Amino acid sequence: MSTTLPIRTSDEKGHSAPSPAKSNGLPHLSPSPSIAPKHSPRSSQTSTRHSGDQHTATRDSKPRRCKSQYPRDSPERHVEFILVASFHIDRGPIMEHQYPGPISGDESMLAELMLPDQTHVRSQDWTIFFLHKDTSTEGEDEEQTGTKKKKRKAQTETSSGDGEASDGLDDESGETTEEEQSSDEEDGGEGPPLMYVLNLVNTKQDNTVKRGAVVKAMAICTRHSFLHIYKPILLLALEDYFKSPYPETLESLYNAVNAMDLSYMPKLNLLERQILQASNSKDMFIEKFEQMVNQRMIADGELNETNEDNPPSPKKASPRNILPRDTHEFESKIIYQNIPIPVKVPTVIWPEIVGDFSLVKLIQTFSAPHTSSPQPFPLHPHLTTSGAYTHPIIVLVNAMLTQKRVVFLGHNRPSGEVAEAVLAACALASGGILRGFTRHAFPYTDLTKIDDLLMVPGFIAGVTNPTFANHPEWWDVLCDLPTGRIKISNHIEPAPVTDGLLYFQQQTPVIPPGPNADPSGDNLFMEDVLRSIANRYGENAIRAKWRAYTTKFTRIAAAFEETVYGASNIYIIGPNEEISPESPSGLQADPADPTTLRGHGYVWSDEAAKQRELMASVSRIEGWRTTRSYYSFIQDIAAMYYPARPIQKPDLYHHHDRLRTRKLLPADASAIYIAFSHAIQDYAGICQLLTVTPESQAGLFYLAMGLLHPDQTTREATADLLERIALHPAGRHFWAQLNRFAKTAYFRIKRDRDAGSSKSPSDSFGPPQSLVGVAMSGVRSHGS
Amino acid sequence: MGGSVSKLMGKIFGTKEMRILMLGLDAAGKTTILYKLKLTNQDVTTIPTVGFNVESVTYKNVKFNVWDVGGQDKIRPLWRHYYSGTQGLIFVVDSSDTVRLEEARSELHKIINDREMKDALLLVFANKQDVPGHLSPEEVINALQLTKLKDKLWYVAPSVATEGTGIFEGLAWLSNNVKTQQPQK
Repeated sequence: MSTTLPIRTSDEKGHSAPSPAKSNGLPHLSPSPSIAPKHSPRSSQTSTRHSGDQHTATRDSKPRRCKSQYPRDSPERHVEFILVASFHIDRGPIMEHQYPGPISGDESMLAELMLPDQTHVRSQDWTIFFLHKDTSTEGEDEEQTGTKKKKRKAQTETSSGDGEASDGLDDESGETTEEEQSSDEEDGGEGPPLMYVLNLVNTKQDNTVKRGAVVKAMAICTRHSFLHIYKPILLLALEDYFKSPYPETLESLYNAVNAMDLSYMPKLNLLERQILQASNSKDMFIEKFEQMVNQRMIADGELNETNEDNPPSPKKASPRNILPRDTHEFESKIIYQNIPIPVKVPTVIWPEIVGDFSLVKLIQTFSAPHTSSPQPFPLHPHLTTSGAYTHPIIVLVNAMLTQKRVVFLGHNRPSGEVAEAVLAACALASGGILRGFTRHAFPYTDLTKIDDLLMVPGFIAGVTNPTFANHPEWWDVLCDLPTGRIKISNHIEPAPVTDGLLYFQQQTPVIPPGPNADPSGDNLFMEDVLRSIANRYGENAIRAKWRAYTTKFTRIAAAFEETVYGASNIYIIGPNEEISPESPSGLQADPADPTTLRGHGYVWSDEAAKQRELMASVSRIEGWRTTRSYYSFIQDIAAMYYPARPIQKPDLYHHHDRLRTRKLLPADASAIYIAFSHAIQDYAGICQLLTVTPESQAGLFYLAMGLLHPDQTTREATADLLERIALHPAGRHFWAQLNRFAKTAYFRIKRDRDAGSSKSPSDSFGPPQSLVGVAMSGVRSHGS
Repeated sequence: MGGSVSKLMGKIFGTKEMRILMLGLDAAGKTTILYKLKLTNQDVTTIPTVGFNVESVTYKNVKFNVWDVGGQDKIRPLWRHYYSGTQGLIFVVDSSDTVRLEEARSELHKIINDREMKDALLLVFANKQDVPGHLSPEEVINALQLTKLKDKLWYVAPSVATEGTGIFEGLAWLSNNVKTQQPQK
């Protein structure tokens, strides 16, 4: 059995000749580490925006155009449809108006979704639901249950295009590759993006009408996963619609939301997005936002020259105002009925992250009852991975990973609340990495759709009707929001016995785990999460923890597959790398090439720990290996993660983990530092490194330890690498956060080398005593 | 045997629970009846039910979990999802809406012919007895063709839901007769 991953065989790409196709937007830094670079990092200045060094660096090569995530001339609209439905006292839910035209499909089904159960007992309610609607074909193809039509859509997907083909700015094949890649990311090979529907219902008591009340709902249909930005405007518009129930009201809303300008928002590649998300720096990648503004000014300037009648508009906003205060989100506005409504759009959008749910809230809801009075679960190998008292959140995540049918029930709760719980659960299991959850999620649904729902394998649904609790044959796991309890159905299918399970049973005698044993580490993990929540770490910190959890799960699953099946499709293995356990990590395959350092995958502190953890995860990994999210992850690895990875060898993640978790001999550590310094040269390579050294995991700390290595060559190689990182637009933030101790060591190495080489360096660092000041100012800027 | 013991226990400790499903055409008065049961002496004004209401009412040591499901014809196909585990059906008829009585009859027979409802008691509220031109309970029995039913315990109670008249009589009939049923768990 061999891996099916596309391994680059042709040449030594990724080594000393980094592929230009993969570097993005910014110039390559000097290609050889041994030649002293022209610029030296100054810890404090590099963290400010406009250091002269960078502009010099930018001029070194032709600056790439920075693309907009939402170009001005895109044929795609922010909002595709506006709908209004009402509850007719004789006929039930009906559709009243649709703008700009009728949305195809079952109108009455849409109207039912827009008027959630029990909307008569509350004056206002929000719901979210998804439509599986093709971008190209108008008509016939719109359905809440996606599975039936998915195959056909997957075929039409490539031809349908999503507007990206229209830009003629690509003059390099490299960029084209990137475009293809990013559209892959959005579609995930699963068909066109979902259409998200945000819906607001109002019930108004009115004695002048028959039976005393008017119930109306207005919905916005968009392909943006950040649909929550439309909440304020929908409130205003529905109020207007009660006053003037005509299509014109829908039209003015439609025009207002589509006039929103997001064209200044730069497009980031996968590695950049990972870095931005993991970072707390508010000005990470601000350069790209600046570049967007500059490009626009140049483009507009050219436009004005050709058209002499138009003098440059004095109203043009100064670029400063357009730059975001926090690069994690982009501020724009929607002007509705002359009221400007500010909106914030996330810069980084991950698959499966939809709306403005709260993981913290979800975790708290299902943790509180478990903490105060734990109830045993009936055992199921996929779900209760830590025994009968497995944490309910872990049971939920396991259920999602192994594609069980999950229902969130919120009797007497607004339907918006169950929808939020469903979206949060999708994000929890996905971590923004795994897919296939939102596509089979029904954030709000009701009995009318039950027959369709039951045709979807492994759905995640939100309901408010307690009759679902009386039908355990409809679900595998029921999460009751009011009580915060999770139930495993007695109708659940038992887990099949698999090869992996037998393998581990033969290999290791089953040791009954003690009462406090936590071989999977889940108990510890949940304690950590709950402690973080109690200590008021924000939503982002909790999401980052789950993202790390999912990443770890996939890496362990890869190790598991290698152990049991001898190969794995869910991990990228570099060239010259053997997948046999006999090839010990850390050996250099080619003595002349330091980057041929062997080893890959997840790193455990020792072999026993590995066996324990794999053993504990066998069932759920085997359960996962037959699911949609598993297969789409294999696709993502090949189509998205693999091409986005400029450095094929050594395995940065693996060897950085070794630095973190193992006690290495100086020679072994040295091999890693030197390999890294050789391999990591250009913009993209540094980006890749930064994705494995997030701030939350000590940043560059372990790398900087190489500055203190006994071997001089190693120290200098590390210093060279750090120098390149410090000059990197994203790396400079990491450098700024590095501790003073490491920085002092860095400057000492530089000074020693400069003195040793007896060359007079072009830019010196001044007297040594000032270095401390420089380093300290770096620390200060980090804290601010 | 075991059944009679637990029945006795139920009598002594009053732990009996009964799941009731209340159906009927739209605007028959289902929600009004539900909230008259729940909030005995208050005036109840209702608006059309979107979906369902469910409330617990304790009467004569029996806890009734009453499900009230919206009656618009389009949502009637959903009624069947509420059948399983139902011990008593309350079918509400607007006695003054003679035009739709045939429609009501057809819906009622559809429900009680369902396998899952074969053991359920049937209580019919001949509601809106205060509205001029209403039918008497006997006329309602004929119109609904209840006498045709075999192996079915049924009862028709005249009621004026807005005033609360007749409602508790109907419930009393349910609680008296549920005891002859096989107790559930």
